[in-house]
Amino acid sequence: MNGVAPPPAVEASPETERAALRADAWRGFLLAAPAYVYLMVFFVVPLGIVTMYSFATRNRQGGTDLQGWNLDSYARLDEPIVRTILFRSLWLAVVTTVICLVIAYPFAYFIATRRPAVRNVMLVFVMIPFWTNFLVRNYAWRVILENDGIWNDAVDATGTDTLVDWLLGLPHWIQWAIPNWIEHLPSPLFSEVGIVLGLVYGFLPFMILPLYAAIERIDLSLIEASRDLYASGRQTLRRVLIPLSMPGIVAGSILVFVPSLGAYVTPQILGGDKETLLGSYIVVQFLTARNWPFGAALSVVLVAVMLLATRIHFRSGGRAL
Amino acid sequence: MTVPEAAVALNGIIKRFGDVTAVDRVDLNIADGEFFALLGPSGCGKTTTLRMIAGLEFPTEGSLRIFGDEVGTLPPDKRPVNTVFQSYALFPHMTVIQNVAFGLRMQKVAKAEANERALEAIRLVKMDGKEARRPHQLSGGQQQRVALARALVNSPKVLLLDEPLGALDLKLRQEMQRELKTLQREVGITFVFVTHDQEEALTMSDRIGVMNDGELLQVGTPEEIYERPANRFVADFIGQTNLLDGTVESDGTVCLRNGARVPVNTQSLAAGTPVAVSLRPERAQLHQPGQQPADLPHVTGRLEQHTYLGNALVLTVALDWMTLDVRVENLSGYSAPALGTEVVVSWDRDAAVVVRA
Repeated sequence: MNGVAPPPAVEASPETERAALRADAWRGFLLAAPAYVYLMVFFVVPLGIVTMYSFATRNRQGGTDLQGWNLDSYARLDEPIVRTILFRSLWLAVVTTVICLVIAYPFAYFIATRRPAVRNVMLVFVMIPFWTNFLVRNYAWRVILENDGIWNDAVDATGTDTLVDWLLGLPHWIQWAIPNWIEHLPSPLFSEVGIVLGLVYGFLPFMILPLYAAIERIDLSLIEASRDLYASGRQTLRRVLIPLSMPGIVAGSILVFVPSLGAYVTPQILGGDKETLLGSYIVVQFLTARNWPFGAALSVVLVAVMLLATRIHFRSGGRAL
Repeated sequence: MTVPEAAVALNGIIKRFGDVTAVDRVDLNIADGEFFALLGPSGCGKTTTLRMIAGLEFPTEGSLRIFGDEVGTLPPDKRPVNTVFQSYALFPHMTVIQNVAFGLRMQKVAKAEANERALEAIRLVKMDGKEARRPHQLSGGQQQRVALARALVNSPKVLLLDEPLGALDLKLRQEMQRELKTLQREVGITFVFVTHDQEEALTMSDRIGVMNDGELLQVGTPEEIYERPANRFVADFIGQTNLLDGTVESDGTVCLRNGARVPVNTQSLAAGTPVAVSLRPERAQLHQPGQQPADLPHVTGRLEQHTYLGNALVLTVALDWMTLDVRVENLSGYSAPALGTEVVVSWDRDAAVVVRA
């Protein structure tokens, strides 16, 4: 007697195996069902409705007639003002993404190469801002950037204002080399500089975290191998570190680019009237202009850009964001 | 005639990590063209020593020269050495040939020439035909070969190998040991090889440096290390041995713990020095009581255990204060004495070595 009961006598057969697999798939579906239903009801269906509205017609009363389907709203995307807003939004999103990437990469590398205990503390620091409401944090920036605020004081104390004045006072023939945004640097509130400052601040963690995850997975002996094989530090960064952390770079860039493109709160609080962005423009269409089909069309464009970005992410071998 | 310049010369090298001294005052000269093994248990400082030669760690104190040039704080890309890493560290995003050509490309060798030389190195390690594969498509042994080619292609003055065979299974490891040895003779490059496997060190190296607790305990040929260990640790770490504790007597004998006196070569150790007599299991003979050769040193005990090894038997003899292993070749017709019987273990005078305790 060895005390082990013999397994129940079930004859294995292709049918038994198929039944087991079916039961497995059903259990998996049941587990996913709550999230699945939630996403269908609150995401996919509303998105379908928005798309439908983008093909509808606005009537004279500012209501929307769900008939006479047409592409008029999409044709309006070609209007100069709409194009300006689209390109400005795209441009600011790109700038925000690049700045986040440049700031986040060395930091993520630094965290990823610390001892595990130190890493966790630093990651908590990265996430601390999320414990405060996004709106509140944007208003905090407004206080910082206000006239006679901390930013102004810092600009005065460092002599940055003098430097900017000097740059702007340079002769005409060299002015082309000086970017326009420079003039907003001393008081960036209600300018594109203010918006980018706010966006970078708001979305930087979305860049740091995926970069950290990607760099943390890299075997650090690869860096040593690269140095051992006569690569300088810079070459190691370019040939080994960046290619291997590409999934993190792409994921982080999408996570920053997408919300920057559709940003509403930050431009509303830190940007000026002259700098309308896509997010605000969509709100105006729905609430002020009462042109729901056009607002819907703009929203569809935004979603399309995001889907495209995600597609690039998957094509580049990335997995979960 | 000038003394040939050492390929690697370590002089009073100390490496501290915070309060921990990983390498403690190591002096070592490795000759040009030598296959040198740094041997020791894990954490003994052998890998740290290798990494200092590679430039992956900088010494806290001391001088480190490669062919006469002080390299102590030069970064790895400025040293004429290459490393085969323990985990191979092949670049996963590059193909085999890109991996092998990497070092040459970084040295600004034109792409065509770099690829040609890389192919040559790949042929040298018998990996031709797999140039376009990625590391994850290769077995451990194949990755090992690529790592070797990637280092050798740069014609380093010294090749450093950090436990390169550790991840391979026994058969493959033995095969690679032979190949590495052959390869080293072919290319004539100085190899510095780190291992914790004493058998590997004995079979492959021209000379071995045994390390423990950050100290270099003994440097010598495999024969010297095995036959004349400098101290108890080396005797114990290299191969199997029985260590019989005792004290040196004035008349060239050692008084063992039980009071028995055995004649051994006490070298020049002063009387009263605590020592151990190291007796290799294969150098001891087992006899029925009364049948041992009269003039040989011997001890008496009781047979306690048989261990069957296939080609040999290890018979464990219990003395009254310790146990002693005796290795007997499993020749045809051999039958070991029954367990529990009284036996005598004897050995040739020269077979036992006195080591400092």
